[in-house]
Amino acid sequence: MSLNEKNLNAMLDQYPAKVKRNRKKHIVIKDSSLAMQEIEANTRTIPGIITNRGCAFAGCKGVVLGPLKDVVHVVHGPIGCAYYSWLTRRNKAKSDDPEKNFLTYCVSTDMQESDIVFGGEKKLVRTIDEVVEIFKPSAITVSATCPVGLIGDDIQSVAREAGKRHGINVMAFSCEGYKGVSQSAGHHIANNGLMEWVIGQGDLEEPPGKYAINILGEYNIGGDGWEVERVLKDIGYTILTVMTGNGSYEELKNAHVSQLNLVQCHRSINYIAEMLEKKYGTPWLKVNFIGIRSTIESLRNMALYFGDPDLLARTEEVIARELARVEPVIEQYKKICFGKTAFSFVGGSRGHHYQGLYEELGIETVLAGYEFAHRDDYEGREVIPQIKTDADSKNIPELHVTPDEKRYRLKISEKRMAELQERIPLSNYKGIITDMKDGSIIVDDLNHFETEEFIKLLKPDIFSSGIKDKYVVQKMGIPSKQLHNYDYSGPYAGFNGAVNFARDISMCFASPTWNFIDPPWRNTPLLEGTIEEGEA
Amino acid sequence: MKTNASNYRNVNENPCNMCMPMGGILPFKGIENSMVIIHGSQGCSTYMRRHIAEHFNEPIDIASSSLNEKGTIYGGEKNLKQGLDNLIRAYNPRIIGVLTTCLSETIGEDIDWIASDYLKERGMGDFPLITVPTPGYGGSHSEGYWLAVKKIIEKMGQKTPGHSGINVIVPNISPADIREIKRILNLMQVRFTLCPDFSDTLDRPFSRPYKKVPDGGTTLAEISEMPGAAATIQLGVTADDCISPGKYLETEFGVPLYNIPIPMGIGSTDLFIEVLKIIAGSAIPESLEQERGRLLDCMIDSHKYNFQGKSVIYGDPEQVYAVAKTCMENGVFPVVAASGSKAPRLMGLLKDIFKDHPGECTILNGTDFSTIRQESARMGANIAIGHSDGRYLTEREGIPLVRLGFPIHDRVGGQRLLSVGYTGTAMFLDRITNTLLEKKYKNYRSSVYQKFYQGAEPDSQCCMEGKGEAI
Repeated sequence: MSLNEKNLNAMLDQYPAKVKRNRKKHIVIKDSSLAMQEIEANTRTIPGIITNRGCAFAGCKGVVLGPLKDVVHVVHGPIGCAYYSWLTRRNKAKSDDPEKNFLTYCVSTDMQESDIVFGGEKKLVRTIDEVVEIFKPSAITVSATCPVGLIGDDIQSVAREAGKRHGINVMAFSCEGYKGVSQSAGHHIANNGLMEWVIGQGDLEEPPGKYAINILGEYNIGGDGWEVERVLKDIGYTILTVMTGNGSYEELKNAHVSQLNLVQCHRSINYIAEMLEKKYGTPWLKVNFIGIRSTIESLRNMALYFGDPDLLARTEEVIARELARVEPVIEQYKKICFGKTAFSFVGGSRGHHYQGLYEELGIETVLAGYEFAHRDDYEGREVIPQIKTDADSKNIPELHVTPDEKRYRLKISEKRMAELQERIPLSNYKGIITDMKDGSIIVDDLNHFETEEFIKLLKPDIFSSGIKDKYVVQKMGIPSKQLHNYDYSGPYAGFNGAVNFARDISMCFASPTWNFIDPPWRNTPLLEGTIEEGEA
Repeated sequence: MKTNASNYRNVNENPCNMCMPMGGILPFKGIENSMVIIHGSQGCSTYMRRHIAEHFNEPIDIASSSLNEKGTIYGGEKNLKQGLDNLIRAYNPRIIGVLTTCLSETIGEDIDWIASDYLKERGMGDFPLITVPTPGYGGSHSEGYWLAVKKIIEKMGQKTPGHSGINVIVPNISPADIREIKRILNLMQVRFTLCPDFSDTLDRPFSRPYKKVPDGGTTLAEISEMPGAAATIQLGVTADDCISPGKYLETEFGVPLYNIPIPMGIGSTDLFIEVLKIIAGSAIPESLEQERGRLLDCMIDSHKYNFQGKSVIYGDPEQVYAVAKTCMENGVFPVVAASGSKAPRLMGLLKDIFKDHPGECTILNGTDFSTIRQESARMGANIAIGHSDGRYLTEREGIPLVRLGFPIHDRVGGQRLLSVGYTGTAMFLDRITNTLLEKKYKNYRSSVYQKFYQGAEPDSQCCMEGKGEAI
């Protein structure tokens, strides 16, 4: 059954009138005959609705800062927040120097009631001193949890003083959980800090190799970043740093010398991409390494940007080689997947990224959306000037950068930039809606009630989201694939990742369990017999 | 006996405990038709749902009042009330737990007042809206758990005429453990109210259609009659009196309290059965005697392996105590016993049972994994027992881990782990013995080579001889 305004209204009628009015603005049925379709996003979640959204701390420490492997991430607060963000995102990292990989450590000031009453600054000071002594890290981040801002601990000055005392970079992030409306606020806070205190601190003035790039918004979940790097290095790119999956502080300092910045997750890192362009004159390219077609398109767009015939040729060579290798393997899975439908509701980018891969497998995405994205992630960046800043977004400070006097250099001429922008998403992202089929549904901040209702209405064959809704859906008899942590599988990016994904999704459908749901005695009797007349 | 009262450091490196509201959620999941709302930022609810769902592999619906910056300035009353409205509309619960967080406690929210005002405004009379103050800095998840159980009973318990039923109050054990305890109670023909009972709600069978609020849980009617019970059996020897639900029933309503350990290990299970016999006067059925005999058989058979185990035990205080007792009974002598929570009672209890300890054991209170790891290495531990965050003991120190307790994130089946009663203890012991054996078989060739061909002293962790294999 397809969804129309009528049954959408019937579904939303179950809400109180005020809630219905609010939620209706977050749901769009794609209709390409309309010039533009507006969706409400990045606004407050209605209390009591079971949302999947997290908090600013989760976005800052958990998502953006956490993967930096040679940095010790101190959580200033009571123990819970540190514990809950301890390796929960599967951002993998390898380090040449095993003494400088702190990813598996969870470090907290473990504030007690007395610290709340008398202030936690002293404890933070002592904790930083101990961390320097124990770990000898390249840098330290301090992330604030809810009570920190409320009791007025000045973590910024504690960090500054500690930095001077130890001669290393100690950075404080005021990412208290109540800031903003979701983890998106935390991304922004982390972006500002990394731009202000890390990027550009290195000594490099020239890129250390040919085709120097940064990969932004790749968190190496399940090893995604490693698969992307494998292909890019093979083609001949010099990867300066990955933000921030398997990323390191030392590399990040020299991110300013890149000739192009790739943006995988637009939502969480577009601030840095934009600031790099303003400050150093380096454009960014929206890429998508999820799915074979999207990967190929991204590789070709990159080659086109550099415009070097050798690079173009080498790109095609690698593409041909990889295709010859993976296509036959994927073919067998397509047979299982063909004709099925999916929901794709993830974070701030993956809800879009996975649709292409689903399509390649013959699966149509009938509903998609993001937990914490903004309107530009739905409608495209051209909508940004129209977005009204509300009180919640005003609370997140904007970092204003200006062209660097020494280091600003236009990487390509304005004319070439304009030409390229006609052809590739250079310093632009067109959003999720344009790629979706007419009649499909786009939902912002999907909650548990709507999840159940949409499943009843649309009966998808697979649901891809996170662990909080996974078991609801599976209990409804529909396979569910976690696209936050990949159900401990992966990588799903690049060529090899597409094969892994095709295999895992096929196995969701092929699980023999689904055949056993109804016991034999419910349908037909196992044994048949008749009772002879007179013997009963 | 060496006791390290607390960390001498300020930094908590790799925590061994979670925060108070996390523990407060679980008892509400064991009450029929119940829902929880967390008054604070969204992240609290989201993080905790994620962790609980991953352990139980079940939907964990917990609402949030989604406090934001405005709420921190003007108070969160409006958010909480609106949250309750929406929660009731979608879930239609019969009881709601309202838990606070660091945020709402720090800004000084008076949730008791908000709750009563809400009920008045909405004309909901005496609807059970149960407030539990659980700031993250107020204690660990263990204290949050006990406090929530106490608050539920405080609110729902009515002065009722005395009856012959007994109350059974359980700590955070697995749904399989709760089912086993219920089976034993039924075998002993005891009329009981077990609270909180999340044996079905957090380990629900696949069935259609999907229900938002799972069937099962202690009913409100049962809880209301708890003050009239003949006795309370509380498996909570480590719980402080001020958060002890059993103590509350005793002081307020004169219900005699039998505060005993989790029936794990032969001694504690014997005690549980004996107490049941005293209270209910029922005979011990033949089948239970047989189960006991089988456990004895298991203990005798396995001791030849178990005595070489040197265990490190950590986790919830109540569980640490039960496991330590079981290990003492079986010669898997603990060399480190640790709690992430600050648990003064546990410390005293451990010292008592370790009086018979032939060697040394380090007891750690309010500690972290970095300290546990150091001590485990120093003391030569060769088996760890606790939740999945102890996996670092395996990764860094090569100490194999027998997973038990909450949370278990890197393996499936935490909800199905059976470790109580005679039968459960035997299953638990087998897991320990087999882990020791696996370690032995992994290492014995190299250790024998070292011993006979290199003349080196074998590593104490792999010195167990093979089962008479020809070398």
